[in-house]
Amino acid sequence: MKTPSKLYIYLTISALLLIFLAIGALYIGVYDFNAVSPFTVLKQFLTSDANLALSDKYVIWDVRTARIIMAILVGSMLGVSGTGLQGLFKNPLATGDLIGLTSGATLMAAIAIVLGGQFKEFLPEAVQFSLVGISAFVGALLAMMLVYKISTSGGKTNVVMMLLSGVAITAIGFSITGFLIYISKDEQLRDLTFWNMGSLAAATWTKNIALATVLVISYMVLLPKGKALNAMMLGEKDAQHLGINVERLKKQIIVIVALMVGTCVAFSGTIGFVGLIVPYILRLLFKSNYSYILPLSAVFGSILLLTADTVSRSIVAPSELPIGILTALMGGPIFIAILIKFKKSL
Amino acid sequence: MKKIILAVSVLAAVYSCKKETSKPTENKTDISSETPKTNNKIVSLSGGITEIVSALGHDREIVATDVTSTYPETLKATAKDLGHVKSMTIEPIMAVKPTLILASDKDINPDLLRKIEASGIKTELFKQEFTVAGTKKLIVDVAKAVGNTDYQKLIDKIDTDLKQVQPIDKKPKVLFIYARGNMMMVSGKNTPMAALIELAGGENAITDFEDFKPLTPEAVLKANPDVLFFFLSGLQGSGGNNGVLKMPGVSQTNAGKNKKIIAMDGGLVSGFGPRLGEAAVTLNKLLIENTK
Repeated sequence: MKTPSKLYIYLTISALLLIFLAIGALYIGVYDFNAVSPFTVLKQFLTSDANLALSDKYVIWDVRTARIIMAILVGSMLGVSGTGLQGLFKNPLATGDLIGLTSGATLMAAIAIVLGGQFKEFLPEAVQFSLVGISAFVGALLAMMLVYKISTSGGKTNVVMMLLSGVAITAIGFSITGFLIYISKDEQLRDLTFWNMGSLAAATWTKNIALATVLVISYMVLLPKGKALNAMMLGEKDAQHLGINVERLKKQIIVIVALMVGTCVAFSGTIGFVGLIVPYILRLLFKSNYSYILPLSAVFGSILLLTADTVSRSIVAPSELPIGILTALMGGPIFIAILIKFKKSL
Repeated sequence: MKKIILAVSVLAAVYSCKKETSKPTENKTDISSETPKTNNKIVSLSGGITEIVSALGHDREIVATDVTSTYPETLKATAKDLGHVKSMTIEPIMAVKPTLILASDKDINPDLLRKIEASGIKTELFKQEFTVAGTKKLIVDVAKAVGNTDYQKLIDKIDTDLKQVQPIDKKPKVLFIYARGNMMMVSGKNTPMAALIELAGGENAITDFEDFKPLTPEAVLKANPDVLFFFLSGLQGSGGNNGVLKMPGVSQTNAGKNKKIIAMDGGLVSGFGPRLGEAAVTLNKLLIENTK
């Protein structure tokens, strides 16, 4: 039996791997620091070295580091939200994209982008900035509640119903987004399509602070729930006998996951499949022990998205590949693998 | 060995002289002749602006451009192409270490603009209006931004060119179709294409909406254009005249029945820079030919 101290060993090892990858990502990019290594430039920045050129400073801190941190934050939240959802639905196919959360968030964000302009001027700047974010959260929450209501009865979730309601929500989202595309201006249209494929290019420290705040709040609630989710696997009645407030647990997971998915969609667009890939890999290593896979998915989500983002911005430089393409490319085969494995139980 | 060195150096000298002497003839059509005194490293993110900067004689200072900067073609060899301004990211811009960034308010994406402004590099964002007066103002503004006062001849050239536009008795209704892959858009009011069509003596076939909208058969039929107007690349991508005639709705319009399909270079049509007069005259000629 694995002991909790082992968890910390795994966490430390994976965190070290993440740091190693982050430093590697710092070195990758088209900007050339005149034969000085990016790490040295970053050190110069952090020690407020006066010799540092303004552009070097800007690229290392506001462009590259900001983007790396955003990849870490968004990846982590997408990974954990996937694992949390799978615990809630007791099924490895439950992820934000497949059950329609991402689509709900995207739809509401799109509405804010296209129609927000009508009344944006009358709102205070802080709200203007977060209008898309708030809308995305509301969209994710509505989709989540709808899926849960449709697919769960008597504490049992019907997997087929869950996936099909996801399909329905995605269809509705798609059609309304299609309508928005029709009424939008050319420039808004390009914003919509580009942003639909996901990107971390617009990373800023302000966004990172907002993301980090959501992350800390969400993790404080969600990460200690590993044991409760393990108990849930026995069935809701048994979990209740073990002293777990099942209804409260479910509500908490629903709200927190919607918050995380909505925030991620608002800041980085639709980046699919992270919530499917991360728990899948962890499950191969640790079975469905949520005490392990919930905290570890926080680090593995970051590792996955940081790697994907680094590839996306270097593979076709100076242009970049929308990151959603890469994550879907990795996620598709895993989705099929899960389907084959669970062929009989679906 | 000495002979070889001698031969090489003679050749090199001859070649460089040739280069020197051939330059003025090459640039005969170029409006500017004096060498600019500034030494900027310019990133220009709009085709029209790039043309103005080049026409003012600062083409050597341009280190990178966006995908719409297709003229002058020599820039292809000297400036880096950063792609479409909507999908551009900040690091490739910073990578060419510019000292001046020029952009139009029309198509830059707000996230990128925020990043450019935060970079601390001198940035000029120009308001672009698709009119003759707007183009002249843009020329003056860009000239100021690059530190050149020799812009009057560019403005005069536009006027001289525009005088050559012949009036057309029965104004043809022209429908501009923006074709990119499977996406077809038609241009409504307040688009550079509508403005150019009117300058060239035609009439924009769409009068009931602004900007661009997806093409539908009913909209084409309702507009019933006399002439269909494409970018050269768009017409090619749509399978040439035959491909266009197969588009839903097209064959029933006047333009379809009479096979009146014209195309011009995208940069020339939508640049609204120093070649505005030239663009209007070219389109005017095409329209006259196609309304006989």
